[in-house]
Amino acid sequence: MAEYFGTTVEDIFRTQDSRFRPEGAEGVDVVVAYNISGAGGGRWKLTVKDGASKTEKLKDDDFGGFTAKMSADAETFVGVAVGQLDGAAMFTSGKLKGEGDMSVLMKLPMMFTKYMPPKKGITAADILATAVERFRPDMAGDLDITVGYKLSGEGGGEWTAVIKDGKCALEEGLRDGLTVTNIASASDYVDLMLGKLDPLVAIGAGRLQLKGDMETAQKLPKLFSKFIPPEASSGPELIVLKKTISVDMKYSTGRMMGKFLKGLKEKKILANKCPECGRRQVPPREICAACVCRAEEFVEVGPEGVITMIEYVYYASPDPLTGETRETPYGVAIILLDGCEGNETMWHLLKSDELDSFKRGDRIRPVWAEERTGNLFDIKYFEKVR
Amino acid sequence: MNQDKGEKYKDAYVVDGKLALPYQYFAGTVGSKFLIALRDKREILGVRCDTCGKVYVPPRQVCEKDFEDLGDKWVMLGNTGVVTNFTIVHKDDKHRPRKAPYILAMIKLDGADTAIPHVLEMVQPENVEIGMEVKAVFSSEPTNTILDIDHFEPVL
Repeated sequence: MAEYFGTTVEDIFRTQDSRFRPEGAEGVDVVVAYNISGAGGGRWKLTVKDGASKTEKLKDDDFGGFTAKMSADAETFVGVAVGQLDGAAMFTSGKLKGEGDMSVLMKLPMMFTKYMPPKKGITAADILATAVERFRPDMAGDLDITVGYKLSGEGGGEWTAVIKDGKCALEEGLRDGLTVTNIASASDYVDLMLGKLDPLVAIGAGRLQLKGDMETAQKLPKLFSKFIPPEASSGPELIVLKKTISVDMKYSTGRMMGKFLKGLKEKKILANKCPECGRRQVPPREICAACVCRAEEFVEVGPEGVITMIEYVYYASPDPLTGETRETPYGVAIILLDGCEGNETMWHLLKSDELDSFKRGDRIRPVWAEERTGNLFDIKYFEKVR
Repeated sequence: MNQDKGEKYKDAYVVDGKLALPYQYFAGTVGSKFLIALRDKREILGVRCDTCGKVYVPPRQVCEKDFEDLGDKWVMLGNTGVVTNFTIVHKDDKHRPRKAPYILAMIKLDGADTAIPHVLEMVQPENVEIGMEVKAVFSSEPTNTILDIDHFEPVL
């Protein structure tokens, strides 16, 4: 397909409907015909009606009826669409021609966002496409295996590498009875292949899953020489390593927090009460923060309460108990449990699939975990009282 | 623990946790060139300061004495050097490059003025000597780290 300014005519029409701006096309009811000549050209028809756009490629010359028609050679058309050529100048010079209702053509830039060429990053498909030439028969010996790649997300897909008789062939799709299957997101796979993501870290974090024969899986990296990105990439290669250090920890609950956590196991939320001022602390601490005296009396509070503040978290830090990072966004609430007053609040998560519906003052109740171990997450989260 | 204390602390217990610290390490322009040469060409590069003549390995952007920009003053070093100091690592940790015990040596490559720490193998701890001649053995798997040199071992 002929490219102009790194883009084909097809690219522009294929993405046209996804670039449609209904707010720029209010009350518009038009049919625009495009006649693009030269290599990579063709005929397309655009229908804008009722705040929606439809772009179709025509097989023949018959446009049927149209409100306006635009004719240009492929290079001029792409140049104007990507902003490399000035549309007005092209009209004046006659390289871009309009027929019919010219005001419609003038409005087109309002109806569609500009075409942006996709960033030319390395994709999983690019890397897998070189698998055959990177294959090392000397390392494979007489291996007879099939290796599946199940890559999710943008640029993902399914491929099978068939290794047999010292040869490697790549097929699209997953074969049945694969020896090993690699499961990862396409972007993680690219990072792995570029050495930006450590395989052991990726496996440890569950971002790379290997299924099937583990002995064969361990041999895989040796069967292919390293993928070297094409020189076209801008500037010299720079090394960025993404790693995760994981440190084993032990936390002592102390006697007050220990009692609180044991209470959760029995579906009880315990606060301790100050003998002098009577305020409650939840979770309990040994000393009343206001009176600086020991507060040994426990009282049960809640379990229902009222939201006094909500916080939405979009960038989560890892949970110190598991090392896992929570899915974002999540919501946490500062909760005033029944039996508490003023600032005697506690913290907990809000039910994630109702995040949008919570507001301050809502009554909420804990949802208890089936199996409770004496952990803050014996309460899974709080939900609305209905 | 006496009886009172046992009673008082009966609710306290210990929970296991795990602290995961995701981070991104950027080797920098100079560091990247050093690591890429290790990985792709199996060459150890340093930089030389024109003013004081000092050769730094691993390379750095600026001379610590003269503040000269060393970013393009590359020199290629051999794969051999001498042990200037060493220690025996006895404690295991999952982030360490080897299972304990192993030898961690400071190695000054021939032609360099600074030493790099690395794993020394193929010699018993009791036989390591300061001044011992050693050579680099490269890793068969690229790691994009200094471990693209798998270890050093004595020159026989």
